[in-house]
Amino acid sequence: MKILVPVKQAALVEDDFELRDDGRDVDPDFVDLQLNEWDDYSLETALQLKESHDGIEVVAVTVGDDDAEDALRTCLAKGADRAIRVWDDELGDADPVVIARVLAAVAQRETPDLVLAGTQSSDLGFSATGVAMATFMGWPHAAVVVALDYSPGAATATVERELEGGLRQRLEIDCPAVLTIQLGINTPRYASLRGIKQARSLPVEELTPEDLGLEAQDVGEQACGARVRKMYLPEKGQAEMIEGTPAQQAERIAAIVKEVMGG
Amino acid sequence: MINPAHESTDVTRELFQNFSTGGIVLFYIFGFLALGVFAWGCYLQIRKYRRGVADGSWADLARRTRDLVVTMLSHRTLRRRDAAAGRAHAAIFFGFALLFIGTSLIFIDYDILGPLGLSFWHGEFYLLFQLTLDLAGLALIVGLVYMMVRRGWIKPPKLDYRRPDREPGEPDADRSRYRIEDWAFLWALVIIGITGFLLNGSRKLWLIDDPLVWDYRWWTPVGTSIAYMLSGLGLSSEGAGVLRTATWWFHGVLALAFIAVIPFTKVKHIFTAGGSLMLRDPLAAQRLPKLPEDGEDAGYGKITDFSRKHLLHLDACTKCGRCHEACPANASGLPLSPRDLILTLREFAHEQIEGRTVDADGLVVHGDGVNQVRAETLWSCRTCMACVEICPVAIEHVPIIVQMRRWLVEQGEMDPMLQGTLQKIQKRGNSFGEAKRKRGKWADELDFPVKDARKEPVDFLWFVGDYASFDPRNQSVTRDFARILEHAGVDFGILYDAEQNAGNDVRRVGEEGLYELLAENNIASLDGAEFERVVTTDPHSLNTIRNEYPQFGGQYQIYHYTSLLKQLIEQGRLQFSKQLGYRVTYHDPCHLGRFNRGFDAPRFVMQALGLDLVEMERSGENSFCCGAGGGRIWMADPPGKEKPAENRMHEAARIEGLEVFVVACPKDLTMFEDALKTAGYEGQFVVKELNELVAEALALDKQATEAA
Repeated sequence: MKILVPVKQAALVEDDFELRDDGRDVDPDFVDLQLNEWDDYSLETALQLKESHDGIEVVAVTVGDDDAEDALRTCLAKGADRAIRVWDDELGDADPVVIARVLAAVAQRETPDLVLAGTQSSDLGFSATGVAMATFMGWPHAAVVVALDYSPGAATATVERELEGGLRQRLEIDCPAVLTIQLGINTPRYASLRGIKQARSLPVEELTPEDLGLEAQDVGEQACGARVRKMYLPEKGQAEMIEGTPAQQAERIAAIVKEVMGG
Repeated sequence: MINPAHESTDVTRELFQNFSTGGIVLFYIFGFLALGVFAWGCYLQIRKYRRGVADGSWADLARRTRDLVVTMLSHRTLRRRDAAAGRAHAAIFFGFALLFIGTSLIFIDYDILGPLGLSFWHGEFYLLFQLTLDLAGLALIVGLVYMMVRRGWIKPPKLDYRRPDREPGEPDADRSRYRIEDWAFLWALVIIGITGFLLNGSRKLWLIDDPLVWDYRWWTPVGTSIAYMLSGLGLSSEGAGVLRTATWWFHGVLALAFIAVIPFTKVKHIFTAGGSLMLRDPLAAQRLPKLPEDGEDAGYGKITDFSRKHLLHLDACTKCGRCHEACPANASGLPLSPRDLILTLREFAHEQIEGRTVDADGLVVHGDGVNQVRAETLWSCRTCMACVEICPVAIEHVPIIVQMRRWLVEQGEMDPMLQGTLQKIQKRGNSFGEAKRKRGKWADELDFPVKDARKEPVDFLWFVGDYASFDPRNQSVTRDFARILEHAGVDFGILYDAEQNAGNDVRRVGEEGLYELLAENNIASLDGAEFERVVTTDPHSLNTIRNEYPQFGGQYQIYHYTSLLKQLIEQGRLQFSKQLGYRVTYHDPCHLGRFNRGFDAPRFVMQALGLDLVEMERSGENSFCCGAGGGRIWMADPPGKEKPAENRMHEAARIEGLEVFVVACPKDLTMFEDALKTAGYEGQFVVKELNELVAEALALDKQATEAA
């Protein structure tokens, strides 16, 4: 059987950073790239299944430019069997839905028995890619999964989802399915630098959306339902310390209320 | 010496006197049988060691042999921290060695030279021989009796075989077999010694009428005293003859059996400890081995990954407990004792690779099974080198632990906190996860510029290190050192963004790939700069740059800052306007002291500052680790247990009137300032970096420049 693990090379922003000139992203000078934290956990889930059952192939896939290859090397170093990278410059401004469309096309080609994605990405945090992918594929899905009980070949899997207020929801899900994995489901292994170096000699399959049968209008800017307009730090300093006698304070508060309420 | 009435060649001992030919033949059969078993056992052990990896430890054999002889004859390593046991061992060792040499001489004289007519075992030589062996036997017995008293009554805690890495009741927790073996060893030897004297005494009494024997009786004072005693007890000459024959056989067969069991019991340390000492690497912990270029796997996963030398080490351990006593992890109740690690591996090797065939599936030494080593045990180590330094037989616990950690790292098994730190180092070259460009930020607050060594030549290149660069408390000390250098007119500069974590602790964690990258990057940066010498305030950086960068082609003359301060004081470039007069104690950092023998310079500086230095019980090479080494600073210590640094604070607090606990290492400052609070001594004394005291004595006004 086969498990597909979609991963992302996420941005890690320095404490003090500057924005790009167009104001739509952080200046790449202030960014390090690393495998999305959630994907560490989804990959580990796949690897642990692989290690406890015979005949499981783990395939890592990412949609990203050359820089994203490191994320796949990390997956290979940890024990993924194969890696696929899909890219075209058209995808530069892709929103999560477009990314999901590309990943769904990869899944169609790979025909996995299970897709394990991260619940969200550590940089943009849409929490949409995995779920949208399930929609494109017409597969059932479960998000924010914190426990998984699954035997290869079984018709269903039992998963536990994390809800607000410490609640858990246990559900039985028909397979194949897309699960988005939450932090803490396991303890991910470390990818040693030697392992990453050795993974450099392993092949990474490189595909374009075209190879997957996707048209330009499926993936270009016009395909995106959401576009980034601006990235910024909200201004600070909204609080004001009101001093003086109680009467003076009351007067000031009344003035502020009037000002904010517009008269 | 010899009575003129006697022929010199007649003054000797007749071997096999009154033995039938059958008896003699029987004895020779026993002899060859014993030697055969001994040889077979040696073969088994050597076959076991040869199942490890050859590592070229035998190079430079002449120097090694000299080293071994000096160490054995002086008993240097055995006398340390346990002088009484060292003396007793010397008595046993020299007694046993002389008796063995004596017996060998008799064999050579009787079986080889005698038949050729070249016999030498008679006359004056014989008498001196008698005296020597008589006293050697006495020494042997006295030494053994002391060891029995030590085990039976003194019971030093280090001889307690309770394991910190197993709960009582676990299948491999019980070490009572070792205790039985210890006693069997002592009793066997002491009985061999006593029956030797009894044999001598009964023979004397039996031959009381033979002037060739009786006239020379006082050349064996102990044996002859026994003869008088036997006579006093009413034993006749004939009775003594019977006793002599019985004792002869008992003594002879027991001694032969003892030889036969050497390779199978703790007695083999006679050879394994010697071999281990001969292969001693004086930089074992300071300079860890590189991984082979083409190696598929990293480190020690299977017992057959061990080097032959390390397999020998497993058998060299005599369970003396010196490492057990010195280990900071063990003292903190963590599941590691260097002794038990070695013994676990010994048992594992014995079970798995001593047999005729080797089961390829049973070779992994890691795990929770019987005689396997648990990951928590390996991660408990602080690589402080206390065990390696004190081991009397040169066992390399730390390199073995790091090799085993390398395998764990390759499997991706480690503490999540440590993982996070290593990822930060992978991404940003420092353990704080700070941006590279911030590395030289600490210098902004100085009122003079710090030279950029990438752009201009300097005399001293200052390798700052992570903690001194990024930790706010240490940054203040870093600036103090900069002011001191500026004050003394030293031409210095730093590498700014081009410096990365030196890698000392990354290597000791076992992340060798990352270490190689860090070392190569730093060497490239250093080679790109123009300088005469390197200085650092960080003993960890000092160690790896001095001892390990040469493995990667980086050869630098590097000083710890305390050595540079000493030089500056001697040259008169640092003159102190006031004497501080505080009552202080000093903590030797592991990586400066034990690792690099930097004991004197810090003390010289403290003396120059007019400090009243009171040493702690554990100082110098016996300094007690702060607990930060080996990457442990990047992992949390388990709650509820006394941390090594707290243990150290209690020790310091016993010094009456202590004002300042002086450290000379950035990590020490972090660890001990923390421990000062958690151990409850805040307000009683303070922890200071030596640089801070130097700056104070120079009256360098920190406030003025830092406020500006």
